[in-house]
Amino acid sequence: MPETVPPLFRRAVLAVSGGPGDRTIVRLACELARPHKAELTVVHVVEIDWTLPLDADVASRSEEAQRVLDLADELAEEMHYFVEPVLLQARDVGAALVDEATERGADLLILSLPYRKRFGGDFALGRTVPYVFKNAPCMVWVIREPMPEEKP
Amino acid sequence: MIGGRRPLPGRKIADRRVRVARPHAPYFRYTGPGQLVARKAASRPLTPTGRLVAKAKAILIGRPLMSEEEIGERLPKKKALAIFSSDAISSSAYATEEILRILIVAGASALALSVEVALAIALLLAVVSFSYRQVCHAYPSGGGAYVVARENLAPVFGLIAAAALLIDYVMTVAVSTASAIQQIQSVVPEAFDYRIEIAFVSIALITIGNLRGLRESGNIFAVPTYLFVGLALLIVGSGIIRIVQGAVVPLPPQPQALVPGGEALTIFLLLRAFAGGSVALTGVEAIANGVPAFKPPESRNAANTLTIMAVLLGVLFVGITIVARAYQIVPSVDGSGGPTVVALVASAAFGGGSPLFIAFQAATALILFLAANTSFNAFPRLAAILAEDGYMPRQFSFRGDRLAYSWGIVLLAGIAFGLLYVFNGDTHALIPLYSVGVFVCFTLSQVGMVRHWFRVREAGWRWRAGVNGLGGLMTLLVLVVVASVKFADGAWLVIVLIPVQVAIFLFISGQYAAAARQLAIRPDLVVPLPHREERVVIPIQTLNRAVVQAINVGRSISDDVRAVFISDDPEEAEELRRRWEQQVPGVPLVIVESPYRALAGPFLAYLEVLDRAWPPDKEAPITFVVLPEYVARSWWERILYNQSVRRLRSVLLGRPHTVVVNVPYRREEPEVFEQALAADPDERD
Repeated sequence: MPETVPPLFRRAVLAVSGGPGDRTIVRLACELARPHKAELTVVHVVEIDWTLPLDADVASRSEEAQRVLDLADELAEEMHYFVEPVLLQARDVGAALVDEATERGADLLILSLPYRKRFGGDFALGRTVPYVFKNAPCMVWVIREPMPEEKP
Repeated sequence: MIGGRRPLPGRKIADRRVRVARPHAPYFRYTGPGQLVARKAASRPLTPTGRLVAKAKAILIGRPLMSEEEIGERLPKKKALAIFSSDAISSSAYATEEILRILIVAGASALALSVEVALAIALLLAVVSFSYRQVCHAYPSGGGAYVVARENLAPVFGLIAAAALLIDYVMTVAVSTASAIQQIQSVVPEAFDYRIEIAFVSIALITIGNLRGLRESGNIFAVPTYLFVGLALLIVGSGIIRIVQGAVVPLPPQPQALVPGGEALTIFLLLRAFAGGSVALTGVEAIANGVPAFKPPESRNAANTLTIMAVLLGVLFVGITIVARAYQIVPSVDGSGGPTVVALVASAAFGGGSPLFIAFQAATALILFLAANTSFNAFPRLAAILAEDGYMPRQFSFRGDRLAYSWGIVLLAGIAFGLLYVFNGDTHALIPLYSVGVFVCFTLSQVGMVRHWFRVREAGWRWRAGVNGLGGLMTLLVLVVVASVKFADGAWLVIVLIPVQVAIFLFISGQYAAAARQLAIRPDLVVPLPHREERVVIPIQTLNRAVVQAINVGRSISDDVRAVFISDDPEEAEELRRRWEQQVPGVPLVIVESPYRALAGPFLAYLEVLDRAWPPDKEAPITFVVLPEYVARSWWERILYNQSVRRLRSVLLGRPHTVVVNVPYRREEPEVFEQALAADPDERD
């Protein structure tokens, strides 16, 4: 009898932000999800600052926010895979991602991380990735984008 | 787009989040600022009937394809050869017969010259194919002779070429279908009685195949083409081997064979035979017309396919003629139902009634039916190019669900079948109409290419121009011979049709140009805010919810709103006025009594009076005629309601300074309607 390989994940949440890393994570997730028909949810979180109510009409009117998810949806369609796009408004991106992954019973959360440096030259990890690392109940993959090429 | 927002709890109070609905997502996709791309669901019909029609259409012609799937619909060389060459290659099934029919007038010994005539035609084929190879490279956007003549000679020559080509494509469908039926008759003589029905079915099938798109039609039509080519090559090969071995036994003349004549063998007769056999060249231009249908690199693939096609056609045509001469085959009397020359050649090679013979006859009939398919690809493409250039109605340039030019395909099918019906499915009655158009376009294309070489002066331009010049002279000679010999037989019709068609092209182009001039705005014009006054007139028949909705729409357009009631019953009018004043204060009601019971006339006259009453020193206002319309929910409701509205709309169409606004009212519960009225902010105040 052939050995069956257990799936890497059955349900994954992909965090997209509109950056170049979105393409990578959507393509990768679709490829990996296909053999076991895992469910993919693509989440984009629009951060609402404290000057506005949390349910202010911001994301629904933002073409930019819609475009981020539409692009992910289109990429998945090109890969002949179905993803469920979800648009969220929250005070904190990390918390929203963790809560969404928890609510959906996801066993994987994938994020992309742009290569950025702080003033002074140190690599900047940002707030979201450490929060997710610390609080997500499931496996977390972070795909760091390549370093930008040094200008001569 | 405003979407719903659903609050969701978080692990901490501050971690709450809101899920935002994306109502656009099933229908559109944002691709840039202010830019949406419609998805499949946006094109889905909304009504049950529409959905049923769409489903039936999908079964018949396939699921709709996206524009970006066009590249996947492009043809590889193998399929392209089958699609674009079936016309040219199938000519080998009847071109030899056309030569023999003419030569036999000068006696049986004249038939011996058929091979020399065929070789001369093969030389012409080589020259024409060479020229079209150049066209494929020089004009990769397709269009063939039309584009070559338009670019290098003058637009009108392009139109002449286009007219000739379009006529030729219609003829190809009709002639090849009629020929295919004749091949079937060679095996099943009873088919003669059902030729119109067979023609209809075959044209309908090819039409559906083409509406399904290029790639699928390639899949459907490739097998018969290659089967014919394989079997025909087998006939020619085995025939040549027998000739070399000296094993040929001439076929005994069949009962329906033509009786050899006693005319002198003159140059003119030879020219007639040459012109008759030149039908073999028809279809050679199709590839140059359809270069964009090929997979990249389009031009190279098209040119190579053209060469393969010319070699195959030349080998089959000359080979069949050599075998026919060796077996001393004589064509049958026209309309006698006797076997065709190619059927006799096949019976000599395979033995009459053998499985291979029957297979070849079936393949010949199929390829002749499919020769029509070449036209189904070339005609719509040429029509699309002409439509893009403004010489044909624009809808010919629109692609259907399967990226095929559906309008061109359907028009071609309609005309070709009409022609077959009128000519009662007789091939020979149609052939005189056939080769004139194609030689007009060959000549124009060759001459155009000579001009092209003189213009671009690339490496080797002199010898290329020389070959095209020679080709131009030869095709012109054939054109003159074909036109003069076949003039009385019906070629005059084509000679008349070409200028008529060119005149139609020019008329359409003139109309589009005039409309464009009338609609154009200066590039430096900045559109100011509207300054003309507006008034609203609402024709009513009673006071109901549809009328109330129309009044509300009218009030949102202008403050000057009035309702007009055309009545033939003063009592009913008075009753309506009483209700109106009570229920619709602020909107004057004008009652126009119409003792002759007319509706549209008095209403139009009222509008006229309003216009005349307008101060002459002021610019005429825009009159919005707001028509309350009840939305019918089924076909029978459409008969019961809105007839007066339709009548008014049709008479108001084109009236100066008048805009007709339809306000559809959908049936709803009274509470919903009243709530909607009460929700108006002015009412609340």
